[in-house]
Amino acid sequence: MTLTRTELEEAARKAFEGALAEDRWSMIADMGLLMAAVPDARGGLGLGGEAVGAIHVELGRALVSGPAIAQMMAIEALAGSDAPAELLDRAMAGDVMTASLAADGTLTCVPDADRASHMLVAEPGRVALVPLDGATITPRETWDRTRRLFDVAPSDDRIVLAEGSAADALAERIERLMLLALAGDSLGGADAILTLTIDYLKTRRQFDRPLALFQALKHRVADMKTQLAAADALFRARAAGQASLVEIGALKAHATTVYRAIAEEAVQLHGGIGLTMEHHCHLFLKRATLNAALGGDADRREAAAGREKLARAFA
Amino acid sequence: MDKGTEPLESLRREVRDWLEANAPKDWRAACTGHAAFLDTQRGWFAKLAEGGYAVPHWPAEWPGGGRTLAEQKVIYEELARADTPRLLLSFMSTYHAASTLFEWGSAAQQAHYIPRILQGEIWCQGFSEPNAGSDLAALRCRAERRGDVYVVNGQKLWSTMGQFADKCLLLVRTSSEGAKQAGLTYLLLDLKAKGVTVRPIHQIHGDEEFAEVFLDDVEVPVADRLGEEGQGWAVAQSTLSSERGLTLMELSARMRGSQWRIADLIRASGREEDAGVLRDFGRLATKIDAAVAIADQFLANRIAGEERVGDASLVKLTYSRTLRAFTDLGVRLGGIGAQYHEPIVFGGGMETGNWMADFMNSYAWTIAGGSDEVQRNIIAERLLGMPREPKGWTVGAAA
Repeated sequence: MTLTRTELEEAARKAFEGALAEDRWSMIADMGLLMAAVPDARGGLGLGGEAVGAIHVELGRALVSGPAIAQMMAIEALAGSDAPAELLDRAMAGDVMTASLAADGTLTCVPDADRASHMLVAEPGRVALVPLDGATITPRETWDRTRRLFDVAPSDDRIVLAEGSAADALAERIERLMLLALAGDSLGGADAILTLTIDYLKTRRQFDRPLALFQALKHRVADMKTQLAAADALFRARAAGQASLVEIGALKAHATTVYRAIAEEAVQLHGGIGLTMEHHCHLFLKRATLNAALGGDADRREAAAGREKLARAFA
Repeated sequence: MDKGTEPLESLRREVRDWLEANAPKDWRAACTGHAAFLDTQRGWFAKLAEGGYAVPHWPAEWPGGGRTLAEQKVIYEELARADTPRLLLSFMSTYHAASTLFEWGSAAQQAHYIPRILQGEIWCQGFSEPNAGSDLAALRCRAERRGDVYVVNGQKLWSTMGQFADKCLLLVRTSSEGAKQAGLTYLLLDLKAKGVTVRPIHQIHGDEEFAEVFLDDVEVPVADRLGEEGQGWAVAQSTLSSERGLTLMELSARMRGSQWRIADLIRASGREEDAGVLRDFGRLATKIDAAVAIADQFLANRIAGEERVGDASLVKLTYSRTLRAFTDLGVRLGGIGAQYHEPIVFGGGMETGNWMADFMNSYAWTIAGGSDEVQRNIIAERLLGMPREPKGWTVGAAA
């Protein structure tokens, strides 16, 4: 397959255009988005971190629901182990296999567990796939209605994918993918709500002029755009480069902070309509705050980045 | 390695080797006054010119010129990496003056001025005035044609390095008719001419990087006019856009290279285990990397011819806010120690570790060269297509 990253990005953007907060699972699978990072030799597209990031930017832009992030984590684990090819093929085709986005070792924040056949479990020294047949699955209603999260108490069955140091290395790859995906999702969402906000300010008139004419509002929008542009440049650089896991964590923290800030401002700049359920502002605000909480909070990620910088300065 | 980047990597090695042999060492410690600053700057510029790295952006017919933007980027990255003195003194000469001369100068003007710039002649810019800062076209410095000369009267402000300069790019008003931009004319002023008085401006951190220039019946030969009379605004646009995005790339790279100063501070104050301090440091480091990334991306887009109007403002605003955050964290972590006055390093760059001085100096980037507020207007109006404010507001109309 000779699909480039740009082609993938454009195809994804077109596919989700006009949709907001819809489940497009079969489309995601049919387009091959789930197999983007899987090596050619294992039946995937063999694209790098940049392409994977770009996919999640597009999913985030349209607030697409479904377990794409968790599914890609499971696929990354399957492709990175000598698990039966049949499992990997099923996962790439869209048979739901999920994973926890909690980042604290608990089996919480598991997207779409109710329709998943398996779940990825990364424990110290062991990465395994767990069939969800006999599992206890408890739905957790979240403020963000664009994602469906569950707590899972699985049975003791394990399909072991890796053990020992190989498992730790695999767990790191999975975590990295999760953080990159959450960062991309956040920047896509931030871009979408910023664009909607600018359009609104250009249309909405008060005091006989469009709101977009007021410099106080223009400057806030300019700051939002600047924060987003810098975060996006960082995202592209780190997704494509050799960033450490800690740096990817700091990127996720930064991207979700920017998303939150932009979504917060968006509600304020929309005024009364931004407070209503009928308007989509709240969807972005809720997904932004959920993204910030998933995958480990910003304070810890940033402290870890500071610690790593400090250690490197005196290395 | 892919074929496209191979020549660049070979240039990088060449520059790096040259810098190892020629870059000044411990120059900061020596720069305790203006005399030492001027010596350092002049010496380093001459050395770079001799090495062929002082004017990579000039056309190929000039020694050291003819470098592509990608090659210039490599040279500036290496200069930042080697922590050499930034070319503050000659910056206006090699960029603003030279680029404007290349675009608007006659063959005779180029032949006269360009070689002198390469020999170290210093230029400053005479654009801003007490009542014309962000609103540059409102300037009032008056030039009247009398035979073969213009007679100039007025005042200029914020001329970077004006007190050390030999020549000045002077924007004057030759007519008050019509649009305010239409009455401007561009002159090349010899600062040694009769009637010119230059006074340094004392900044809040103790340096004098800027000057004000008083012009009292100063005669400028008509032969030293760039472009036609009344074309000054167009010529000035060339001056203002002469710098090709390299400065912010270089400055961001230098900021990233200076993070060890914060690390030093954390260790010196015994706060290596303070989660709040580590978090703030990690947050800052991420923002710095973002500033580097957007400056790099901007330059890459420019090289590829994909720059959009307003992109430069995103880069400048990102850099200016990040620099403020950097120096602010330094002041915070420096505690009372940062409040004891230390003599500044002249021309030491934006991050010297003299935290209060660095913090105050960071305003050079939030105010100068188009303030943050001007950048926000450009981003909102030109990049995001928000409507411009109607013109013609006056105090009288508000009443």
